[in-house]
Amino acid sequence: MPAAPSAPSRDAPAQARQVESDAAAIELIDVSFAYDERLVLRGVTMRVPRGKIVAIMGGSGCGKTTILRLIGGQLKPRSGKVLVAGASVPDLDADALYALRRRFGMLFQFGALFTDMSVFENIAFPMREHTDLSEELIRDLVLMKLHAVGLRGAADLMPAELSGGMARRVALARAIALDPMVVMYDEPFAGLDPISLGVVGQLIRKLNDALGTTSIVVTHDVYESLKIVDYLYFVSEGRIVAGGTPEDVRSSADSYVRQFVDGEPDGPVPFHYPAQPYAEELLSHAR
Amino acid sequence: MHADVLAGLAQGLRRLGSTVTGGVSKLGYASRFLLAVLWHSPQAFRRIQLTLREIYFAGVLSLVIILMSGMFVGMVLSLQGYETLKRYGADEQLGILVALALVRELGPVIAGLLFASRAGSAITAEIGLMKTTEQLTAMEMMAVDPLARVIAPRFWGGVISLPLLAALFSAFGIFGGYVVGVRLIGIDDGAFWGQMQAGVDFWPDVTNGIIKSVVFAVAVSLIAVFEGYDSKPTAEGVSTATTRTVVISSLAILALDFVMTVFMFRGAGT
Amino acid sequence: MSRSAIDLWVGIFVAIGLGAIVFLALKVGNLLTLDNAPGYRLEARFDNIGGLKLRAPVKAAGVVVGRVESVRLDPKTYEAVVSLRIDREFQFTKDTIASINTSGLLGEVYIGLDAGGDVALLKDGERIAKTQSAMVVEKLISQFLFDKAAEGGGQKK
Repeated sequence: MPAAPSAPSRDAPAQARQVESDAAAIELIDVSFAYDERLVLRGVTMRVPRGKIVAIMGGSGCGKTTILRLIGGQLKPRSGKVLVAGASVPDLDADALYALRRRFGMLFQFGALFTDMSVFENIAFPMREHTDLSEELIRDLVLMKLHAVGLRGAADLMPAELSGGMARRVALARAIALDPMVVMYDEPFAGLDPISLGVVGQLIRKLNDALGTTSIVVTHDVYESLKIVDYLYFVSEGRIVAGGTPEDVRSSADSYVRQFVDGEPDGPVPFHYPAQPYAEELLSHAR
Repeated sequence: MHADVLAGLAQGLRRLGSTVTGGVSKLGYASRFLLAVLWHSPQAFRRIQLTLREIYFAGVLSLVIILMSGMFVGMVLSLQGYETLKRYGADEQLGILVALALVRELGPVIAGLLFASRAGSAITAEIGLMKTTEQLTAMEMMAVDPLARVIAPRFWGGVISLPLLAALFSAFGIFGGYVVGVRLIGIDDGAFWGQMQAGVDFWPDVTNGIIKSVVFAVAVSLIAVFEGYDSKPTAEGVSTATTRTVVISSLAILALDFVMTVFMFRGAGT
Repeated sequence: MSRSAIDLWVGIFVAIGLGAIVFLALKVGNLLTLDNAPGYRLEARFDNIGGLKLRAPVKAAGVVVGRVESVRLDPKTYEAVVSLRIDREFQFTKDTIASINTSGLLGEVYIGLDAGGDVALLKDGERIAKTQSAMVVEKLISQFLFDKAAEGGGQKK
């Protein structure tokens, strides 16, 4: 059970409050990463306890998706440790990495369904690739997964025939096809209508609890996240600037958290892109 | 003034240098890519369905354009060839003319160019689109290697399809030449086939044509899958990659054709 | 596209593709008509072989009975030594004449064999004694001009 909540502090660089509960399934310890010379993450430390849903929130381009790629082993950090179930991901060899990925499920931003296969075959794909199950068994499993997301009747449709919300749900079913240990969601709420938003949010929570998986949700949808997650981390300019449970966040006095949650245009994340002072630029003639 | 000119020149040289080094390093990257594709190829054959599907999309769907073009080229060869041969009283040699031109050169080369435009660009676009919509990344995250599952089957689909298409091109071309030469113009049927048989040797004419088409097939297929895999994951990126496939494949075919022709038919004499 | 439909079409495609290759090899090229019957070798020496090439046909009475296998120059006698490969079913007499002919003016160069009346037959590896070299057109023309000039000169006298 989480320790007694205290107000999240905002020192520079801020560290998220540690959740002292079950052993961490995923840990990032002082991780830094740069694309070419641009530093995207600086000294990020976070813990994702087993069986919980953790949200990573922040503005666009602040490094949220990079964190997912580091956990999935697609990128190697410049410094720091990335641990999944105790194993250091960047140090795994190709075979070990593939073995690890078989226990991951990932939901991509727009589904990333395989367009040349039907819904059924998309979900059967990981089963056919990684198991020797018979076709009857695979059929039953696929239908079960589809039923869990409410799309059993759409099994024979092609991805092009699905609406955005349906495609997202099919991708979710595919992500949990092999009952993974960790599920990562990259912007699962982006671009959905209100009903689909509610559906996806509920599915994420229910499936997490039913399968006992650990989930990481990268998003900037505050409203939906607060409804379903166990813990949130706020990322800004490559650092963790705040963190807490949903109650902490709702009642937080932290200026960054407040700007994000209330949707204020100006605050710790400035409205104006850095430029010359307005009067100076208007009055000067050189351009 | 001087400083500006020099600076511009230096800039130009620098850009030239980086283009050349960029090109060379891309060549190196492409070679490593080829090795990686070959390394992952066994799976493309163990799960033969994957490759069969690609042979269908690259080969079977190109049949119409290949067969029709072959026939037209053969017919035109016959027409043009007859006019010239008649001047030397050698119109009975028409069969050899049409057959040799097709089997040695036009079959492999034109079939290769058509294949690059139709099938090559389609392969590049498909792979590029899969990259843009994160399908390749999704596969990687599902612990399935896209090189083995997506790239290698398409590479081998092209390598197997093009030689067959080139042979069909030549065959239909000869048929077209026969229709025009014997049926339309009125050259003797026996002379047409007889001279052809006497003049076209299996070794080196037919076999060299086959070797050429195999070399072209490897080149076009490799360029097509590479450009798709290497494309920028945006709409422009995919369209640029598709254009590059057609242009680079065509140049490669013509350049390789020249090199191979020099080695194969130098001193063939006949 | 269902799997079985794809399999069917790919099968058809590969079949006709291979068929085209076979067609090119046999009907267009001369794969099987060549050198497959068992044969034996004969040698013939010429002063000038003209445009004779390797694999040129060897004909008797206009029928192809063999092929030219190799051509080399004898460094001592400066003769062209031509090796012929003849089908086993055709035997030629010892006094056969081998001549180099051209079919038509622009046609291919071939070796024509005229059998004689001798009882004895040529065996494997033996040499054809009588040969007729190729007609070199330039020599013909200069011969013609020379004759014409001589004729004109004679008349003047």
